[in-house]
Amino acid sequence: MEANRVFLVDDDLIFRTAATVLVGKELPTYKAHHFENGLEAYTKLMDLADTPEELPKLMLLDINMPVMNGWELLEELRSAPSQIRDLVQIHILTSSISPEDMNLSETYEFINGYITKPLTKQDLDKLKAGLP
Amino acid sequence: MKTNTSQNSLLTQSPIPMVIVAGDGQILEYSDGFYRFFECNKKKRGDALHLFLGELSTAFRHNLKQKDDFIETIEVVSVIGKTRWIRVNAYAIKGNGGCFQLSFDDVTQQKIQYELGKQAQQIARVGSWTVNLIKNTVTWSNVTKEIHELPLDYEPDLETGINFYKEGDSRNRIIEVVSECIETGKAFDEELVLITAKGNERWVRSIGEANRVNGKTIGFSGVFQDIDETKRQQLRYEVLNDRMRVAIGSANIGIWDFDIVNNNLIWNKKMYDLYGVREEDFNGVFEAWEATVHPEDKERANEEVQQAIEGEKDFNTEFRILKGDGSTAFIHAEAKVFYNEDGQPCRMIGANTDVSRIKRQDQRLRQLLNVTEKQNQRLLDFTNIVSHNLRSNSSNISMLAGMLNSELTVDQQKQFIEMIQTSSENLDETIVQLNETVKIQATSHGDLDPIPLSTVFSKVLQSVNALVLDASATIETDLAQNLRVLAVKPYLSSVFLNLLTNSLKYRHPSRPLKIKVKAQASSNQTIVTFTDNGIGIDLQKYGTKVFGMYKTFHNNKDAKGIGLFITKNHMEAMNGCIEVESVVDKGSTFRLYFMNNH
Repeated sequence: MEANRVFLVDDDLIFRTAATVLVGKELPTYKAHHFENGLEAYTKLMDLADTPEELPKLMLLDINMPVMNGWELLEELRSAPSQIRDLVQIHILTSSISPEDMNLSETYEFINGYITKPLTKQDLDKLKAGLP
Repeated sequence: MKTNTSQNSLLTQSPIPMVIVAGDGQILEYSDGFYRFFECNKKKRGDALHLFLGELSTAFRHNLKQKDDFIETIEVVSVIGKTRWIRVNAYAIKGNGGCFQLSFDDVTQQKIQYELGKQAQQIARVGSWTVNLIKNTVTWSNVTKEIHELPLDYEPDLETGINFYKEGDSRNRIIEVVSECIETGKAFDEELVLITAKGNERWVRSIGEANRVNGKTIGFSGVFQDIDETKRQQLRYEVLNDRMRVAIGSANIGIWDFDIVNNNLIWNKKMYDLYGVREEDFNGVFEAWEATVHPEDKERANEEVQQAIEGEKDFNTEFRILKGDGSTAFIHAEAKVFYNEDGQPCRMIGANTDVSRIKRQDQRLRQLLNVTEKQNQRLLDFTNIVSHNLRSNSSNISMLAGMLNSELTVDQQKQFIEMIQTSSENLDETIVQLNETVKIQATSHGDLDPIPLSTVFSKVLQSVNALVLDASATIETDLAQNLRVLAVKPYLSSVFLNLLTNSLKYRHPSRPLKIKVKAQASSNQTIVTFTDNGIGIDLQKYGTKVFGMYKTFHNNKDAKGIGLFITKNHMEAMNGCIEVESVVDKGSTFRLYFMNNH
């Protein structure tokens, strides 16, 4: 059986590298897939919509990214096939500490959490509890 | 007697009411017209005069006993109870023992009119007076006495009459005009103050005319009117009017009056001051005003006048004018349109005030507000950097450092330390950039100097020569040798450098890069256009974010997203601005606006 997938959507290579190591330790049954911006992640999700079993269980989504940022991706997902919203646990993962971003995240009822960087072992422990 | 008879028969047949009476009032002869006139028949009345005229007055009976002609007007109540006024003209018949021929006129109508006139005089408080200089008598009518608050039996003389005028201007004036009237016969018409017998002050109008014989004034007469109420109202009105004039004068308000039908425009003196126009240069038609209005405001102001005349909108507006000395002033104008009986607009009256000072203060405030808003935006951008760039680097460092303690392979440890190094370098660079931004914000417009555009651009171009060659780019410049703009030299260099490196970075992969730089100078600003044929920016998508901080829009590893933000800040610090136009896959055009003077 193929490993569970986790999508890391962030334009920061250093973060993705470190996060991959952390995920590997805390969620050993998951494999990290890297995306540099929202558009890359969106394209992949749409590809997988027809084969729901291949959709990632988890997506860690940065906000500030070139090409398509986190908000824009979420906006696209609103009108995407519902299995993407239902099957993928989406957590915003951002360096922003602005309350506006926090408030904005609450307007997307299909996201599962909001984490402020740095990503820690404790954050992943909590995530793990919510995973199927 | 023969003569008498023929005379009598002539009288008898006359349709004119006439009688011959004896000295005792006995009617001797009568005309046909007589009984008709008294609406009765002879047999019923008899032959005594008093049967027709009522009880004769003592004076009338006395006159009948004399031998002189006389005229008397008598009030008669007719058989049907109607009151008539009858004038009796009595002619003594010569040589016929005290007989009179009487003829009768009905003067009821005249009498009524006379009475009405007297009433009107009473109501209008118009009295009369006469002065006879020969007999040295003075007569006043009852109204004249009433105006003086004197009893009706008062006997005036010229001196006491004059002494009723209030001491000072009024008395001096009446003495002056009466003396002149006596000496030269000149009529007078004066409004003067009287002190009445009861001590009340009262305005009167005294009109007098000389009665002259052989070039000498033998007397004069005139009318005398109580104008106290009207005069006091007029004086109150004048006080108000004066007050209004003072108010208008001190408030710098110009008043104009436009005759719409005849296209005639009248200005008060203040208007000429406001517009800086000489009275003799103003031809008093609408077009003369129109010519003073600033060209950019002319159409609108004109339209607003028309709208007011057509009743669509009140005239309450502001426009600029070009004054006689060439300066510009802001005018606040309000006006009211007046209509004739047919409801057609015929006249427009308005007030103008110069609001330049207020307007300029307002503009200064707006500028200040603008600056404040910009500063506020920059502050927000700052928060954004702190939140994003500083934190993304610092959170990476803390995450990596935290994980160093856990079980990592040697290779991973080595990689992590390298990443910590990179992150701390990025952090340092971010802080340097922040510092740069702070420095730009602190630039004041006073630091601007005229800088030659082409010299600066050439230097910048030299510094990136290697990159230009590497990209085989062609750069076409059209910058006049002596063209200078108000700028801070290092900022200007930085702006050019940033635009050049952007074009180099985002050049189209399938065609050689072409850049065109040209400048267009007008009287107050210079526009530098910077065009490339690169990959372009999707402005529909990114619009306002193009010049924001840390926005990168291309899948380009060098993009740090601060370039255009800094460029925009540089331009604004130099009191200029930057605009962009772009088509994806075709290229971008940046327009830089520089001020030519402070």
